[in-house]
Amino acid sequence: MKVYVNRQPVEVLPGMTVRHALLAANLLDSLAEGKKPYDEWGHEVGLDGALTPEMKIHLK
Amino acid sequence: MNRLRLFFWCLLLILWLAAPVQAGEAALRLLHINDFHGFAEPYQPLAAPELLGGMAALAGTVDRLRAERPTLLLAAGDMIQGNNWANLFQGKSSIELMNAMGFDAMVLGNHEFDFGQQVLTERIKEARFPVLGANVRGLGLIKPYVIKKVNGLRVAIIGVVTADTPTHTSPKNVAGLKFSPPAEAVANCLKELKGKADLVVVLSHIGYQEDRALAAQVPGIDVIVGGHSHTKVTTPERINQTVIVQAWEHGKVLGVLDLDLKDGKIVKYSGRLVEIKPGSGPVDAKVLEIVARYSQQVNALLDRPVGKTEVDLNGEQVRLRETNLGDLVADIMRRATGADVALLNGGTIRTSIRRGEIKAKDIYTVLPFDNYLVAIRMTGRQLKQALEHGVSGLPEGSGRFPQVSGLSFNCSRGAPPGSRVREVLVGGQPLQPGKVYVVATHDFLAAGGDGYRSFGEALKAGTGFRLLGGALTSKNLVYNNPGVWLRDLVIDYLKSRPAISPATEGRIKEVG
Repeated sequence: MKVYVNRQPVEVLPGMTVRHALLAANLLDSLAEGKKPYDEWGHEVGLDGALTPEMKIHLK
Repeated sequence: MNRLRLFFWCLLLILWLAAPVQAGEAALRLLHINDFHGFAEPYQPLAAPELLGGMAALAGTVDRLRAERPTLLLAAGDMIQGNNWANLFQGKSSIELMNAMGFDAMVLGNHEFDFGQQVLTERIKEARFPVLGANVRGLGLIKPYVIKKVNGLRVAIIGVVTADTPTHTSPKNVAGLKFSPPAEAVANCLKELKGKADLVVVLSHIGYQEDRALAAQVPGIDVIVGGHSHTKVTTPERINQTVIVQAWEHGKVLGVLDLDLKDGKIVKYSGRLVEIKPGSGPVDAKVLEIVARYSQQVNALLDRPVGKTEVDLNGEQVRLRETNLGDLVADIMRRATGADVALLNGGTIRTSIRRGEIKAKDIYTVLPFDNYLVAIRMTGRQLKQALEHGVSGLPEGSGRFPQVSGLSFNCSRGAPPGSRVREVLVGGQPLQPGKVYVVATHDFLAAGGDGYRSFGEALKAGTGFRLLGGALTSKNLVYNNPGVWLRDLVIDYLKSRPAISPATEGRIKEVG
């Protein structure tokens, strides 16, 4: 399925998580810089959170 | 006269007590957690400056908040699987903990199915609270909803789990089960509940995005207590007349939603997430004992022998060359998935094991990451690209160096990266660029970890996942089992044999 990380589309498998999406977007290392993932409504999401098609994640 | 007056006051009292709630006011508190995943002890999440969570502290907070208001304690799914504290007991520990805390209801999460239906049924029997799943057919003992009477209120709690559950676990775990769309199941329950409930709560494990869609689509839901997406909803959201909450993950916070009702309607609500961490408040002694007892058992179980090796298992050179430990793990992956070939990155393997007894904790140290297996159809061309990428870091050691099973190849270190892989044989036959092979790997590489793009490319070429009879079917995805870690498969393999003595087999030969 397709999800978006910082507006970049990435393809992930069913059952994959926010962590996988960040990995697919090459942005997992941003977490070590103190960034956190948020959904499009501004709520922080856990790295093991499930993904849904077209989900938009932002790192900030 | 006095008797008459007494009779009159008694009658008035009886009438007042029996008066329908709709005529009056009532207060209710919902306490909720979701996606606990067995994180019973405090832990330090990635990049967090301190320890968070801890169920003894969370339970202590529950005790305190419960004393303030009429309360229901709810669990929005994914409670019995995840951390060793839950996994090593197949969730029995989680249920004992939840019983001690007096949970009022729980909805099934997708991970509740990871140990299979027989184990799940055992857990449901052990639970002293109802386990809900209105959109699941074929699993006994679960209920679509329950009505709880609290402070004169009839609170209906409907449970729904993501209909994608079959794609999140092994097909055999959901064999014979049907998962219908949550909105449809909720709407049907609402029809049945008409006139029987003063408040309707949907306890949902479908994800925050879907909770919002549910609220927009189905009128008549007062509250959605959510899970699955691990969303930290710090203040409740409202869509139409539905209040939506979710309490992040792993017991790092406790969700609190206070409701004031009048004439059957919510006239006021306020919600917050209470942070849970060591020292955040008094702990619940009973829960502390349960957490400690199972933690001790975890340590004891990890210290148990699971196998024996007659040779040293080399985990040190996995980033540079084929090793016997790399071969072993790759073989286990190929066997578990039925694939033609298996490939994992050397960086998955973190250390060696010396000849002799192997304990479970040794395997946990060798394979510390929560990797699970996938198998993907790839062309020979894509497979070769993956191998080229794997050896592109040479002569420096890099985590991407491949360990393989079911194939062999020559590697020319002197050639430029991208042109180092020669004479690839799959099952003893020359690799054909246009032929399709089933390649086992794990989720980290499938998602593009260590720069591997071939797996993602192969999956992109076969998009359009669909379910047939509860099993995932897709053009290019052959195996996908997020519920079982690779290291547990390795442990199972070791337990099944009196001893192992793997040797390198010349699967990766260095030439020129």
